Amino acid sequence: MKRRRAASQVVRFAGLAILAAAFLAPLYWMISTSIKPESDTVVMPPQWIPTRPTLENYIEVLNSPDASILRWTFNSLFTSFAYTFFYLLLSIFTAYPLARLRFRGRDAWFWFLLSSMMIPGIMFLIPHYMMMMQFNWIDTYHALIWPGISGVFGTFMLRQFFLTIPHELEDAARIDGASRLGIIRHVILPLSVPAIVTLGVFSFMGSWNNYVWPLFVVHGDMLTLPVGVTQFSSRYITEYGKLMAGTAVASLPVLVVFVFAQRYFVEGLTLTGLKE
Amino acid sequence: MDRATRNRGWERNERRPRVFQFSESNPLSPYLFLIPHAALFLLFTVYPIGFGVYVSLHRWDVLASTQPFVGLEFYRRLLDPNTVQFQFFWKTLLNTLLFVAVSVPLLVGGALSLALLVNRPISGRGFFRAVFFAPNIFAVSVVGLVWRWVLDNQAGLVNIVLDEYLGVRPINFITEQPWAWLSIILATLWWTVGFNMVIYLAALQGIPKTYYEAAELDGASTWAKFSHITWPLLSPTTVFVVITTVIASFQLFGQSLIITGGGPSRSTQSVIMYITEEGFSNFQFSSAAAMAMVLGLIMMLFTVVQFRALARDIGMGAKGDAR
Repeated sequence: MKRRRAASQVVRFAGLAILAAAFLAPLYWMISTSIKPESDTVVMPPQWIPTRPTLENYIEVLNSPDASILRWTFNSLFTSFAYTFFYLLLSIFTAYPLARLRFRGRDAWFWFLLSSMMIPGIMFLIPHYMMMMQFNWIDTYHALIWPGISGVFGTFMLRQFFLTIPHELEDAARIDGASRLGIIRHVILPLSVPAIVTLGVFSFMGSWNNYVWPLFVVHGDMLTLPVGVTQFSSRYITEYGKLMAGTAVASLPVLVVFVFAQRYFVEGLTLTGLKE
Repeated sequence: MDRATRNRGWERNERRPRVFQFSESNPLSPYLFLIPHAALFLLFTVYPIGFGVYVSLHRWDVLASTQPFVGLEFYRRLLDPNTVQFQFFWKTLLNTLLFVAVSVPLLVGGALSLALLVNRPISGRGFFRAVFFAPNIFAVSVVGLVWRWVLDNQAGLVNIVLDEYLGVRPINFITEQPWAWLSIILATLWWTVGFNMVIYLAALQGIPKTYYEAAELDGASTWAKFSHITWPLLSPTTVFVVITTVIASFQLFGQSLIITGGGPSRSTQSVIMYITEEGFSNFQFSSAAAMAMVLGLIMMLFTVVQFRALARDIGMGAKGDAR
């Protein structure tokens, strides 16, 4: 019995190791291609480990006259941080009364907001685009930041979390004479750090990796990094070393976020109340 | 109230006009909290839906100064087999449905299998979880470019391995069917299966160990434990995972655009790709808006039908939940 269990452990471990290798292979190939001279990218037999590693692809890609990777990186970082900041602020201020206060129309408004989650995103694409034209927001940061800001996932998630905070804590602060804002700042926020960080990571990644919307509302120097990198793929269509260098640069910032926030991802998915 | 209390941070706004005060006694304060989001919600969520309907009922020409009302003309075209819009809209919708039908079972079944594999203790468990989840963080463009390179017709990693080590002739993954679909599905699986896995993992950890211990006392096999305990208790999660995955798969766009460009001969063009082509390349905003409305309604219908069909299987699992 014991031996059988040990054997099944080994089989399972081997299976997982093969799967993990398959999952990592494309990323390994991206990095390894990016540090090969162009002539080494398509040789037979394949060079698993680059024999003549070089950074020339990265240097060329970062200096490319018609691919402003650094500018695109700034655009992506700026819009993702700005979006996340305002999205968190709005979600906190909307979730708080919906979870903790009693007032006329509260449940009706909550259900109205919630029902908007049913609307598929494609229905917003054309009208949002035409609104951006009317506002003269094409090719501006406004177009990248504002149209998605009223999404209610964050409100919903934080409301569910705020509901679990004991009322006694809030009552105690109130007896001490705290205002609503004081209660949020000194009671609700400190207790909600995990939920808020999770939501922050989600909205940052969502904004960073957004593809369809920036593809159409911004161009040239205003592009975000994920869109920019495909634009320049038409230039380096056959130069895979440079293309993979660009791709690696485009995935680096988000990889850094992942390494630091990895714990929150898993916890966060549990927190959103999806687990029941 | 003594001086010490008054000096606390949260007391500071006491001197402001009463209407704008976020205090206990101000009956308006809940509404003050809601106003900023409500304003943006009306502007960017409620208004665009109405505006989208309005656009779809008018002929919106970028160059013309007037936008004449044309009623349901653009919807009628989607039902008239003689129009280009009819032909491509339904063709690309069928492409998308094919993708949904093939990818969703893989993305749900694969995720559950992975979750079961990394749920029980094994060395390196945390590492495996991270590896399976990691591709999720990449933008679809990164995923697309990497896979287009990995599956390149001549020099791609997969073809090199097939040729060099297995003696299989290179396959035109990017430009021939059914390989083009396989490429898109493979890339999608790699990209998103880890997300569903994490949701399943969370659910698996919520199942009390005592259920399994009791079943073991009764001599239940591994399969019996799975089919009588794990699967039924996971069904609310499965409903959630299936619905969100179907919605996500309906939005197929970047993978097709970047890996195959929608080809060969539009066979992997998704319906959202076609809508953006009609809107942003042909400048037919009204026609694109009408298609988006029809597609949106079809997607909503799918969600409702699935929810009902799947929710029937949940039974007590969902009802017993107090939340």
